[in-house]
Amino acid sequence: MADTNTIIGESILVKGNLEGDEDLTVQGRVEGSINLTRTIIIEPGGVIKAEVSVANAIVSGVMVGNISATDSVELTETGRMLGDIQAPRVIINEGALFKGQVDMGDLEMARSRVSKTAQSSYQPSYTKSPAPTRPANRPVARPEPPKPQEQKPKVTPKPAPKPTPKPATPPKKPAVVAVAGASKRSKKKVILKKKKRR
Amino acid sequence: MANVIGRSIVIDGEITGDEDLVIQGTVKGKIALKESLYVENSGEVEADIETQNVEISGSVTGNIRASEKVEIKSDGRMVGDIKAPRILIADGAVFKGNVDMDR
Amino acid sequence: MAAEPPGVIGRGISIRGNLSGGGDLIIEGTVEGQISLKNHLTIEETGVVRADIEAERLTIKGEASGNIVASERVAVMANAKVMGDIKAPVVIVEDGAGFKGNIDMNVELPDGVL
Repeated sequence: MADTNTIIGESILVKGNLEGDEDLTVQGRVEGSINLTRTIIIEPGGVIKAEVSVANAIVSGVMVGNISATDSVELTETGRMLGDIQAPRVIINEGALFKGQVDMGDLEMARSRVSKTAQSSYQPSYTKSPAPTRPANRPVARPEPPKPQEQKPKVTPKPAPKPTPKPATPPKKPAVVAVAGASKRSKKKVILKKKKRR
Repeated sequence: MANVIGRSIVIDGEITGDEDLVIQGTVKGKIALKESLYVENSGEVEADIETQNVEISGSVTGNIRASEKVEIKSDGRMVGDIKAPRILIADGAVFKGNVDMDR
Repeated sequence: MAAEPPGVIGRGISIRGNLSGGGDLIIEGTVEGQISLKNHLTIEETGVVRADIEAERLTIKGEASGNIVASERVAVMANAKVMGDIKAPVVIVEDGAGFKGNIDMNVELPDGVL
């Protein structure tokens, strides 16, 4: 497998199916479908009207169609895209324009913490699961260096660790209210707390 | 950080929690807190309230049940029934309703 | 009137119902229902919001599910989780964020692309 980077230059128009195992930079125009095991870079001025299936996509030009990526899709500040994105990591930078569906796989949302009725039996059932399964600081894919090709399995979110039940809320100091008259109030509160302790 | 429902905020619904709450805006519905509720001058509350302490400098319409104390300050206005072991109504406060200080 | 400090709905607070008004608001607790805010809404890391949201600007660091309409901008920060549709002229999704739904930024393509 050669570590090459194919460039489709400004004046080139490709119609049809494009497949490959190397990075592809598009400065011209591609219509049809693209299947790569590596990274596609759509440069400013580049236009793609195609169904795209890649490991990584960096869109700085115009992309019309759907992208399915095994790793990441990034729209840079000059990127314009109409279509759906399916990828575990999707980055949209300020200035990019996008319309379509984004699917990063199933999200684990915290269960509702609002009690059914607002009763004094309210208990914080704070069960937000720990950090997302996706590492946030993995660098965005760039074409080089070449890596041994390994087919990544489709994104399956790792089962989250059991949410650890939060211990009963620790005794709380009265919050200091940062508005005018705060000092007056906090003094009063201290008195209240003393009363409580008796 | 303190909980503040700001002047221009309107909440229509239920608020529950275990922290102090300061209301400068408008709340309609129900409030259930484990700590203290402060209804400030600009605050308007139309709700049944269940807390430990309530301090009213604004306006409250609804019934209050407090496990410790209810205080209506001199510029506070309150319409509704109060049930609490300690109730303070300052000179100048406006209050209409029943008071129950049974423990 | 001087700019007021933002309202805060702290970690221990849950709200069910409609929340509306002006001024900036920070949510660290839980809100279920509907939010319609004239200014900037921030959902902090501990914040959980299940509501349709209307605001001028929205910054999400925690969790939000529901549909979002912002007149200026929506930023989904690195550890945020968002489910629902977003409509705003500017939408930013940081690396590491989780998002599922539609984004509509009103895309204008250069002439002759389609």
